[in-house]
Amino acid sequence: MATFELYRRSTIGMCLTETLDEMVQSGTLSPELAIQVLVQFDKSMTEALESQVKTKVSIKGHLHTYRFCDNVWTFILQDAMFKSEDRQENVSRVKIVACDSKLLTQ
Amino acid sequence: MADQGMEGSQPVDLTKHPSGIVPTLQNIVSTVNLDCKLDLKAIALQARNAEYNPKRFAAVIMRIREPKTTALIFASGKMVCTGAKSEHLSKLAARKYARIVQKLGFPAKFKDFKIQNIVGSCDVKFPIRLEGLAYSHSAFSSYEPELFPGLIYRMKQPKIVLLIFVSGKIVITGAKMRDETYTAFENIYPVLSEFRKVQQ
Repeated sequence: MATFELYRRSTIGMCLTETLDEMVQSGTLSPELAIQVLVQFDKSMTEALESQVKTKVSIKGHLHTYRFCDNVWTFILQDAMFKSEDRQENVSRVKIVACDSKLLTQ
Repeated sequence: MADQGMEGSQPVDLTKHPSGIVPTLQNIVSTVNLDCKLDLKAIALQARNAEYNPKRFAAVIMRIREPKTTALIFASGKMVCTGAKSEHLSKLAARKYARIVQKLGFPAKFKDFKIQNIVGSCDVKFPIRLEGLAYSHSAFSSYEPELFPGLIYRMKQPKIVLLIFVSGKIVITGAKMRDETYTAFENIYPVLSEFRKVQQ
């Protein structure tokens, strides 16, 4: 099954990758197993975001650039306002990458 | 009124527009041949404001903000530019798209630019009896209010299609030259006046 690798660039994903790298370097983990852990991380992130995160955020801003290619939407927003239930925040520049989760089940 | 904005600010040339109303151009569709094969995926990945979904449509859809237009760019190098408000702006937009494609490394030319359609609209500011008009101009008219609320008038000379609504709002389409739009409107204006609805 294919997985989305985009969560590997998140803080938690970067930390996991770093740790796995160290373990492979020191010989406590085989490279194959490290890859398997990363694939499981992709699956778990997708599943967790789907089933455990209830928070909704709305984002509103000036659409500077958009792109749709290979079933991935990319949006660059300027002066965006992030609003969730209890707080809101202004961000001068945001990049949103969005994939169609239907592609995972195909 | 937002359309017919020329009125008041600039006097209308009554020799050209005896009705005193100048239809406003709303959309221009043009085509041009960039005369080179294009890698659409490479274009979609590098250019801004592009969409490419070959499963749905075999062209890159690209937009620019000035002039506010949309282009369909095909792998053959042919391109369609829509949305401009004048012939000049349509050509300017098409040139900008060609320049974008050039900057991405394709030897794009600018061959056979052609205006394919001009859409204009205006408001005669009186209601119209569409049934009466359809009956007396039955050779040109199609009025099926259950299908579409406007009367479709297929003028023969010039060969232009007009959508006529009860409200007095008119859409004029099918022209390749803006003068055809103007002539079609001047031809229909006396007919519209004849079928003006008298309000109780």
